[in-house]
Amino acid sequence: MQITSVIKNKLTVAARTGTSVETRFKRQIGLMLISPWLIGLVLFKLAPIMASFVFSFTDFHLLNPDQIQFTGLQNYRIFARDLDAGSALWKTIKLALVIIPLQTFASIFAAALLSSEKLLAKNTMRLLFFLPSIIPSFSAALMWDGFTSPSTGWLNRLILSPLGLESLYHFSNGDSSLSFLFIFTSLWTIGPGILIMMASMQGISNEVYEAAHIDGAGRFMRFFKITIPLITPAIFFSLVLNLTAVFGGAILLDRGSRWRNDFSSYDGYVNFVLFDMFKLGYASSLAWIFFVVVLIIVLILFGTSKRWVYFPDREN
Amino acid sequence: MSTSLKRFFKVLPFNLFVWILLILYLAPVLFMIVTAMMPTSQLGDKQAPLYPARIVPYVYEGRDYQLYNVPMDNGIRQMALIKPGRVSSLFVDPQHPENGLVEWQGDWHTLTGVYEFHIARENFAHLFDSMPVSKMLGNTLLLALVGEFGVLCSSIVVAYGFARFSLPGGNLLFYVLIATILIPEKVTFIPTFYMYIKVLQWRGTVLPLLVHLFFGNAVYIFLLRQNFKSFPIDLEEAAMLDGAGPLRRLISVILPQAWPVVITVSLLHFFYTWNETRLASLYLGSISTWKPISFAVQNYQSLVPIDNLIEASTLIMLLVPVLILFFAQRYFMQGLVITGTENKQ
Repeated sequence: MQITSVIKNKLTVAARTGTSVETRFKRQIGLMLISPWLIGLVLFKLAPIMASFVFSFTDFHLLNPDQIQFTGLQNYRIFARDLDAGSALWKTIKLALVIIPLQTFASIFAAALLSSEKLLAKNTMRLLFFLPSIIPSFSAALMWDGFTSPSTGWLNRLILSPLGLESLYHFSNGDSSLSFLFIFTSLWTIGPGILIMMASMQGISNEVYEAAHIDGAGRFMRFFKITIPLITPAIFFSLVLNLTAVFGGAILLDRGSRWRNDFSSYDGYVNFVLFDMFKLGYASSLAWIFFVVVLIIVLILFGTSKRWVYFPDREN
Repeated sequence: MSTSLKRFFKVLPFNLFVWILLILYLAPVLFMIVTAMMPTSQLGDKQAPLYPARIVPYVYEGRDYQLYNVPMDNGIRQMALIKPGRVSSLFVDPQHPENGLVEWQGDWHTLTGVYEFHIARENFAHLFDSMPVSKMLGNTLLLALVGEFGVLCSSIVVAYGFARFSLPGGNLLFYVLIATILIPEKVTFIPTFYMYIKVLQWRGTVLPLLVHLFFGNAVYIFLLRQNFKSFPIDLEEAAMLDGAGPLRRLISVILPQAWPVVITVSLLHFFYTWNETRLASLYLGSISTWKPISFAVQNYQSLVPIDNLIEASTLIMLLVPVLILFFAQRYFMQGLVITGTENKQ
């Protein structure tokens, strides 16, 4: 009796709101299925974000957390005069501007090579190109350190000195060789990017290529006029992920700590404020400023996406 | 010439080009492997060959000496250096030790050694002596398995919810999911850190490394959802008509089709756990018995700044992930489809 009355009740509600019982039921199941993530969202994202927003207006200190005081915009005023923070932020943005296009081009290029029909031993080659991307970042840094060492490293002994070039300054002393190393170690992170591009390239049906071939389009024409436009979703996705990786967001294949503070200067500076000065309040406001900067960059990227990203969903 | 051979020569230039790129790309890895096998004596030695080598040893009257190329009246001879000196040194000819000591005029520093190929097994022996390698491997595997279980179960269920059920607010929750990927870790980090350390007193336990995994991971959920969406819905509808509930449909209809992406996600997470040092150093500390291998190796590398030992520890740490990558590559290489609309066979 009770069950029928419940159903009757639901039916009347559904009739009133215009949704069928089935969709309401389906929605409840959907909510139940995603509930672990929803709980996690509140516990590990929303609550901490709000908390750090509140912290950013206080002089919260790790060593005497009980004497926390509301200081208003004090932390943000300190930031405006903090030259270290400003230059670290600028360095991080500059680095992102160099590394992200490089990673994107390199992964498209490698994916095109690795999905070519001419390639022999395809699976082995793909595996080998992916290999550096699973090396922990600190080990990768040590390998590059040894490899580029002016006295015993292979770079100097096998490549530079036979060519009559001067050896690179070691990366512990010199800004130019440091950026050289950034470039090479960032090329060692493109494995997942290559896989994404490759999967996307394989999704393009052969008919499109054949049609273009019949119309007389050459190999380069086909690559730039068919492959590139059709893999723009993958390019967009990897752009966003590379961006968040440089700015300290989620990383598709996380390999541990950034190998040097210089790699993400701003991250390093926040760590310094946090773990060496114990200023949780100021660190929170630094993190929030960064959050806003990243948000602006991501919004700009999403804003431009309508112009160049091909969304197959829209056409259906 | 057979057609397959013709084809081989046609594609040869392209493959050579890819091989050269690959060798340049992986050169530091080769350097790491070679350096890991070098004896310590070879490290600062500029005259030493590039492969792992040592100066040929020679035993004379019960003591160890080394062979050098010495220019004598009758050409360059390989002699064992017994008593080095700046002006003159004493040598023994290994072919005629009965002749006794031979004097040679000149600075012994100008001589080059006689090298032979030699793999320094003692590097690895030293590593196993100074680190509890098997215990650390066990720790890491356990962390990886528990974390894998948590993150896979939760992410798969959530991804299924996003892929197949209409949710309140339409796509809004999905956009929130994507937004959480973009949030810099630092913003959420400070309160979480304070919570774990001061409020919950979880320092020294593995809980801060594992708990959040049981609530899913946004990147994995996204990847899984995009794949689930690309599967044809007919099978699920048929199962639904047979009375299968949502979890039943997930397990018996979706998962059997989803192996590549599930394996991809589990590998991504495995590599992450294997290389994770940030959380381990924050919450476990360096005295913990729970130290995972990457953190222990990182500690070791900062304490022992000798190149061959550093690279040997890297080599040991990389063995397991490389083996796993090798065996799972077939699935891994096809699992990263991100556009949720393709209907591939």
